[in-house]
Amino acid sequence: MSVDLDQTPRSILVWERSSFLDEKNRINSEVEQLHFNYKVSVLLPECSSTPPHLESVLTSFSRFYLVRNLPLHKLLDKEFLETAVYQGSVYGLSYRTRIDEDNCVALMPNGRLVLSLDKDSFQVLGFEGKPSTFGNRTKNRFVVTIDLTDSSMAPGGRGYLRLLTGLTSRLSLQMDFLLSHHPGGGASLQPLLSHCDWSEHTPEISTQSLTHLSCPEPQSCDPHSFLEWLGAVHTDVSSLSENSSSNFLSSLVCPEPKTTLSQALRVSICGLLLPQDVHHLVQELRCYLERSRLECWTSLTVHGFVDSPVSWGDREHGVLRGGENFYTLLMFHDHTYHIHLATGAHDTCPP
Amino acid sequence: MRGDDKKDKSAGYQRVVLKNASPYHYMKVCLVLEDESTKLSAVELKQFIITGLKTLYGEVGAALNFDLLKYDEDTRTAFLRVCSRGLVKLWSSLTLLGFYQNQACAFRVLQVSPFLLALTGNSRELQLD
Amino acid sequence: MSVFMDLNLSYTTDKNRLQSVIETAAHLGFSTVAINYGFEPTAKKKQEIPTPKPINELIDQLPIVQGRSRPIRVLNRLTVVMSDSSHFRPNAAEYRSFDLLAVQPTTEKLFHSACMLLDIDIICISVTEKLPFFFKRAPVNGAVDRGVVFELCYSAAIRDSTMRRYTIANALSLMESCKGKNVILSSAAEKALELRGPYDITNLGLLFGLSDAEAKEAISSTCRSVLLHAETRKTASGIIYTTKTCSDSTCQQEAPARSELCEAPAAKRPHLAE
Repeated sequence: MSVDLDQTPRSILVWERSSFLDEKNRINSEVEQLHFNYKVSVLLPECSSTPPHLESVLTSFSRFYLVRNLPLHKLLDKEFLETAVYQGSVYGLSYRTRIDEDNCVALMPNGRLVLSLDKDSFQVLGFEGKPSTFGNRTKNRFVVTIDLTDSSMAPGGRGYLRLLTGLTSRLSLQMDFLLSHHPGGGASLQPLLSHCDWSEHTPEISTQSLTHLSCPEPQSCDPHSFLEWLGAVHTDVSSLSENSSSNFLSSLVCPEPKTTLSQALRVSICGLLLPQDVHHLVQELRCYLERSRLECWTSLTVHGFVDSPVSWGDREHGVLRGGENFYTLLMFHDHTYHIHLATGAHDTCPP
Repeated sequence: MRGDDKKDKSAGYQRVVLKNASPYHYMKVCLVLEDESTKLSAVELKQFIITGLKTLYGEVGAALNFDLLKYDEDTRTAFLRVCSRGLVKLWSSLTLLGFYQNQACAFRVLQVSPFLLALTGNSRELQLD
Repeated sequence: MSVFMDLNLSYTTDKNRLQSVIETAAHLGFSTVAINYGFEPTAKKKQEIPTPKPINELIDQLPIVQGRSRPIRVLNRLTVVMSDSSHFRPNAAEYRSFDLLAVQPTTEKLFHSACMLLDIDIICISVTEKLPFFFKRAPVNGAVDRGVVFELCYSAAIRDSTMRRYTIANALSLMESCKGKNVILSSAAEKALELRGPYDITNLGLLFGLSDAEAKEAISSTCRSVLLHAETRKTASGIIYTTKTCSDSTCQQEAPARSELCEAPAAKRPHLAE
């Protein structure tokens, strides 16, 4: 018995081309459905300093909160449900937990609470769930999805009491939790924060300017080559800027046909980032493109959290070796765009 | 293994699903040496990895193409690119490399992905305190 | 899946070195490790079974597991290298101070009894020599049914290229019989630089004939089953302890019967039956 050593775990890349002017474009849902974003990186070719409008959009990204050792049943607190879950969109994700090892929890803006539990915890909790899609023959992980806005989950309701008992007396889960709320911010989360040890965090912005970059033709370049090139730009691979790359070390070259960008700007922002803010950033980048020269383009890459129990919408997400779930939006002057959505082995196909 | 499904809704709209089509895999690795002061150039690192491939997989292994995309001499951290079919072989030979010029060493594989971009946004690196 | 574990870190009297091994294990993302005390009885003279050092004497402060907010968990384990059936003493009181109990049988007969009879948690597969026997299907299945696991250690394969050949050959031969079930992968590391990360080991598992999922189980859920197996085994011997407090004569008759009883639960624990 021997396993084929040539095989690699599954990966999926969805490539889509459309226009912002097309009424049926799905860009908004694609942006909004990736709930838990860790990092957004923007590449602005032929740009030397952050345009002021863009700067202000980036600095207005919502703050987020880290709650230490949050007992999970506090998410069922009546006051919290009323101020944060029923009104606006709440984003919550367990922090310092790993989806392929620990219990992980996500609270989604549509009021759904997703618990990805190991078998023991699932059985102890005694709440309805289903085995993880990625468990192969041994069912070691279970996913419990609870709609907190459902009538049975209203405080005092049957399901509510059952879950509350489960989380207080049988499975008293405690974990560090990242929280954010749109549009209420910290004020809406106050009922919960006031009982806990928490800290407020501002997404971190970093900017680098690049010079003399070889650049492929973004309209015609094939998706994998373009993503590789963009990855090389974001990781500062030098062979793209120098022609002297020795063949022995690396054979990576910029896809043909190529041009040279005399300069470019790379801006990234890190933290628990809300899709609403990302959407806002996309709008601002479109305005930026309208103001700039004809052949101009820009790219925006959004990385989801590796250990989130969900990727797009409520599609289950997991980690085999890496939990990549990200998309790259490539926008052009004429309002057309290309979007690349990528996921790894333990993920379903993006929308 | 590879499947493309295309559907055109309108003239401008196009959607392609590429499954397992990633031609390369990318690794972010760091070489830890017993003697931290040892200097290692990019060429030496690449040669060292080739030795590892050769001891585990012979001449066929040594012929496996991989690229050293980026290397930081101070931290001995490197980005590697290898064709997807060669990933398991390259990775296992890194794992089993235990000595560099008679001193103990270990390759710490920090991240592996079919997408180079994924190596730039790993939420497991998020430090908040 | 459960947390990543390395159930075999070699014990050494060099406190600093052991500390750095534990720290590196935590840094690489292992949540639980076991310090292994080797014991190789010889025919010539009687040897003492080692006693485990309390963990707080080995390391002052337990390091935090990478990316988590909890410290690493450290256990003790005894591995008896058996070249004769008398080397394993089923009711030795010294065994009870260890969290995990392993044997490394050197002959086919001993392998058979380790699989079918001995009250142990782990059977160590030798990786430093060409195996003098084949893994027969029947004892391997017996071990799988009883919830005893087979352990393959990878650090010898890092140290030496001949050992590497034995490791891979013996691993493949084991997988042929057990089909990737009840296998754990551990390091048996003596130095920090001999440890590898969980995902590295998963990938290495492919060379040993495990699938992606099986390899990952071999450092997580299967290890967890071993811990549960060990706990039940220890609780079962705990019953013998309590009966010993009663008056002497009745107790001595009762003890053997009880010890037979307590081998039973090990075989039918639900989490291993799957």
